[in-house]
Amino acid sequence: MGSSRLEYTLGNHGSENFRGDDIMESATKSFQKGEIPGIIAIDEATCKGCDSCKRHCPTGAITGMFGAVHRIDADRCINCGQCLVSCPFGAPFETVDAVETVLTRLNNKDVAVVGIIAPAVRVAIGEEFGLPAGTLATARMYGAMEKAGFKILDNNLAADLTIMEEGTELLHRIQGELSGGEAPEEGHGPLPQFTSCCPAWVRYVELNHPALIPHLSSAKSPQQMAGALAKTYGAQKIWGVEPGKVFTVGIMPCTAKKFEASRPEFISAYHHLAAGGGTYSGEAFPDVDAVLTTRDLARLLKKMGIDLAKEPGSAGDSVMAEYSGAGTIFGNTGGVMEAALRTVHAVITGTEMEPLEYRDVRGLKGVKSASVNLIDAKTGKALQVNVAVVHGLKENIGAIVDEVLSGRSPYHFIEVMNCPGGCINGGGQPVHPEGSGWMSAIAPLFAWR
Amino acid sequence: MGKKDYQYMENPFQVTRREFLSITGAIAAFTALPAVWVRSRVTKRNNYLRARAAGLYLDDRNAKIRVSHGNPVVTKIYDEFAHAPLSEISEALFHTRYINRSKGIA
Repeated sequence: MGSSRLEYTLGNHGSENFRGDDIMESATKSFQKGEIPGIIAIDEATCKGCDSCKRHCPTGAITGMFGAVHRIDADRCINCGQCLVSCPFGAPFETVDAVETVLTRLNNKDVAVVGIIAPAVRVAIGEEFGLPAGTLATARMYGAMEKAGFKILDNNLAADLTIMEEGTELLHRIQGELSGGEAPEEGHGPLPQFTSCCPAWVRYVELNHPALIPHLSSAKSPQQMAGALAKTYGAQKIWGVEPGKVFTVGIMPCTAKKFEASRPEFISAYHHLAAGGGTYSGEAFPDVDAVLTTRDLARLLKKMGIDLAKEPGSAGDSVMAEYSGAGTIFGNTGGVMEAALRTVHAVITGTEMEPLEYRDVRGLKGVKSASVNLIDAKTGKALQVNVAVVHGLKENIGAIVDEVLSGRSPYHFIEVMNCPGGCINGGGQPVHPEGSGWMSAIAPLFAWR
Repeated sequence: MGKKDYQYMENPFQVTRREFLSITGAIAAFTALPAVWVRSRVTKRNNYLRARAAGLYLDDRNAKIRVSHGNPVVTKIYDEFAHAPLSEISEALFHTRYINRSKGIA
C-alpha cells in the first residue's frame, strides 16, 4: 500500500478540492500513513480572531490570541467541526470535499454508487431546502438520492448490526467479570466498555488517553460496518456487481467521518475478499470511498437540480434500507445506549423491555446515568447494569475518564458522543446563524433552566 | 476662629422614596435586558436541537420494528453471510483495532 494508499485516499475523498497542503507539511505526527491529515482548517483571510471557536474546541487545538488570526493544530484536532458550525464569520472550512468526485462516479454507469445514510441526516437536511428544523425526510431523501443515481444502504441497518456486535461484546465483558475476575479472555476487554461509534471520541482517546483503548468497544462505527457490508454481502447478494465496482459514499452529519473513512484499518472488505473469503484479485479499495456531510449532499443535489422538498419519496431500492427504531435513534445523545439496552434486556431476560422508551438516557443533560435491573432467564440471578451517557466532550468527559483511569468507575457501559446533543448537532450539519455549539458554552450561565 | 463655622456642604440631592424605587427599578430592568436576550437566543438554539432529536424519536415511534435484534435484515445477514455476532467473518468485517497516538501531541 504505502504512499499509493495516500494517493488513493485523497483521490477518492476529493483531491481536486483538497485545500490542506500546508497542513500536510506541518502535521503528520499523529497520523498513520494514508490518513487525511486534518479535516478542518481556518481561512486566514476570513478569521477575525473573535475566539468563538476556542470556546467550542474540545481539545484546545486552536491557537491564536484574541484579535489575531487563529490556527488549528491538526495533531490535536479530532475533526469534530464544532468550530466550523459555531464560527460567526464562517472562517473554518473542510480540507476535503468529495462532491465532484461523487458526481463523476454517479455519471459512470459501470459503477454502483451506494449512499450510506446516517440517522441524523434525515432530520436536518430539510433545513437546506427550506423545511422546518426536525422535519423527518427519510422517504424524500431516498427519492432524491435514487433520482441522483444512488443505491440506498441505510446506515440505521448498520446501526442495528452495531448493536448486535457491540451488545454481544458487552455481555462477554460482563460475563468475564462475573466469572470471578480472572484475566479477561482474549478479545473480551475490561469494564466499563465505551462506545466506539463517534470517530472524534475515538481519536480523542487515541491521542489523550491511550490507557483507555482496551475499554473502547472493538465494534466498528456503523459507517465502517456499512462500507464493509456493501462491498461483500451487498455486492454479491443484493446488487450483483463486482466488489471493485461498488463506490460507497457515507452521508454523514459529521466531519470526523471523513477522517475515519481514510484510516488504513478500514480496507477490511478487500482483505476479506482477497484472502480466504473469496477470489477477488483486483486492486485494493477502502471500505468507504468517500464521505459527504449533510451540507455536501444538499450541495450535490442542488447541483443536479433536485429539490428534496418537492420529492414524492421512495422506500429504498432493496432490503438494505430496512431498519429498526433502535437504529434510527443512534443520532441522538443517549440513542446508542437506549438501543443497546433494548437488545441487552431481551437477550438476558428473554422478554422485550416494557416500555421500550428508556427516558433516563434522553435529553440534553451533560452526563446522564441509570441503573437497569435484569433477571437472567437462564440462571434466575439478578444483574444490575449501570450505564452512563456523555455528550459535549469539552465540558463533560473529564470526570468520567478520571473515574475509569483510577478504577473507581461504577459503570458497565458508557456512551460518548463528542458533539453537544449528539450527531444531530454534528459538525457536518446545516449551519444556523446562532451557531451550533452555543448550548454547551453558554448553558452554565443558565443553570435555572 | 470661633466666629463662624465654615463647612463645606454638598448640594442636597433629594429623592423621595417613590422616586428612588422607580430609578432603581429602571436600572435593574436595563441591566436584565441583555441577559434575557441571550437567554432567548440559547432557548431558540436548543429548540432546533430538540426539534431534530424529536424527529428521530418520531421515526422510532413510527417504525414497525423497534429493536435491533428484531430487524429481519439483520437476521438475514447473519443467516446468509456473517453467521453470528463475533464470528470469524464478523470479527474481520465489523470489528477493528485502535492505535496509541499520544506521541503525536507529546
